[in-house]
Amino acid sequence: MTVKAPAKSPFTPEQEKTLVAWTKRYPFSNMGLVEALRSVQEWNRQILPEHAARVAEIFALPFSRVWGVATFFPSFTQWKTGKHRVGLCHGLSCWMAGSTKMETCLEKTLGVAEKTTTADGKFSWETMECLGACEQAPALLVNDRLVGAATEESIKKLKEGAK
Amino acid sequence: MTKVLTKHFDEPKLHELETYRRLGGYKALEKALGLDRAKILEEVKTSNLRGLGGAGFPTGMKWSTVPPEDKVPGPRYVVVNADESEPGCYKDRVLIDRAPHQLIEGLLIASYVIGAKDSFIFIRGEYQAQYEVLEKALAEAEKAGLMGKNILGKGFDCRIELMRGAGAYISGLDTALLETMEGKKAWPRQPPPFPTVAGLMAKPTVVNNVETLSMLPHIVEHGGKWFADLGVPKSGGTLLLSISGHVERPGVYEFPMGVKLRDALAAAGGVRGGRRLKGVIPGGTSMPPLMEKDLDISLDFDSVRAAGTFLGAGGMIVLDETADAVAVAHNIERFLAHESCGQCTPCREGGFWTEEILERLMDGEGVPADLENLTRVGTNITGKVICALGDTVGMVINGYMSRYPEDFKKRIPSNGQG
Repeated sequence: MTVKAPAKSPFTPEQEKTLVAWTKRYPFSNMGLVEALRSVQEWNRQILPEHAARVAEIFALPFSRVWGVATFFPSFTQWKTGKHRVGLCHGLSCWMAGSTKMETCLEKTLGVAEKTTTADGKFSWETMECLGACEQAPALLVNDRLVGAATEESIKKLKEGAK
Repeated sequence: MTKVLTKHFDEPKLHELETYRRLGGYKALEKALGLDRAKILEEVKTSNLRGLGGAGFPTGMKWSTVPPEDKVPGPRYVVVNADESEPGCYKDRVLIDRAPHQLIEGLLIASYVIGAKDSFIFIRGEYQAQYEVLEKALAEAEKAGLMGKNILGKGFDCRIELMRGAGAYISGLDTALLETMEGKKAWPRQPPPFPTVAGLMAKPTVVNNVETLSMLPHIVEHGGKWFADLGVPKSGGTLLLSISGHVERPGVYEFPMGVKLRDALAAAGGVRGGRRLKGVIPGGTSMPPLMEKDLDISLDFDSVRAAGTFLGAGGMIVLDETADAVAVAHNIERFLAHESCGQCTPCREGGFWTEEILERLMDGEGVPADLENLTRVGTNITGKVICALGDTVGMVINGYMSRYPEDFKKRIPSNGQG
């Protein structure tokens, strides 16, 4: 699959500047690619072929290279995550501490299945591999920030407290 | 008990430069910059410091495989592997949170010995809070003339840059980490060449773990022999264990290298609720468990290996008698199958089928041939793939089946017809 960058950039002028800055941050421009895609994921909550095509143009790389990276890493999604992307760890310690029960709780509290976003775009949830917080099992991560052990209470609070 | 890395962890502001320096921080860097690089390398060799990211490779030996500048001119790099993703391991997170300057000081010493003017800290994206701790610490260090040009006025230049990963476990393997840094899929490389010869952008590159590098200021300060004497022959110093699972007080604990498993468990309050021990995963879920009979073994790379498993990165998960070996193995194999990069067929396919068969056993639909197939599939992966992830798929399933055969047999319905 080859996708050409759309005539009009899918990014704002500010975002374009950030992407160009990633090409200059490290000794070799390609070294900024994963960080640049992290920015794209953060802005759009997903990475689509048109985004990858524009990034490829900025980095002077083939589309296939950028799309390959965008579809390899679990942090990058082709589906649109919620504004609050909730990750539930199901690594061994978290699973032993009852992460499966918390899956049911997330589904019930947020009202959507795994990797699905609420109609208002606010929340999505997904299981994640070990978050490196085994002493706080079962661990929750919201937008790359650890929020500690999940309980039915903490999940409810998370929903109520989110803007 | 001697503490090295966590000695000042009760200082609430240890993460700030001012506190770190008040407690003697960056004195070792100053000392190092006045020493001959070869002399520091000798001390690191004498210290018996081994890679604490999982492989246990002697650090001094790794460093000495970097070709000298007169033979291979041009840039060389030091990369910190802060992509801690092995289930059960979280000590690097704590080390960065509490003592970022200890890591930065160690990295600068390593960079001086290797001759790196650009060094990098590659940290997993999920550690955003720790990324910000490092960002702040680096800014402090730069402002104080400890990072950047002409460090401490001693004519040594070194810039440290941060980079985040994007959620792939395999990025924590050195060569896959370098691929990620180069803006590629995290596919492990087949060595040789090893990264010290051709690493980041094909330049000589040393990749060291957070804990390993954090040890360096102490080795420079007190000498290699002092460090070696803290541990056991061939493995010096201390180690951090991230303890979790069925234990009373999960947390990060520092012990001398070679601490008895029994003592490590006791420090964490022992098995929860006074239950009986079923096993202890010593180094993260890729390592098969130690058993109750192993309680008196010494936790160091060589002794754990002799007991049929690996110390890994010290991610210790305690399993009590309520744990079911099939369910535990299923959780680990599911993880490995998910994280296989897909490059080698035995791992990609074998991991998938291992998970599928275990799922069938869990659903009560196992057939007797499943057990043979699990062993066969596992044995056909280990040693036939590029990286350790694939080896692990076989090591884990065979490790659990040989240690807990009853748990597996129980999962085959008695009619055996499936």
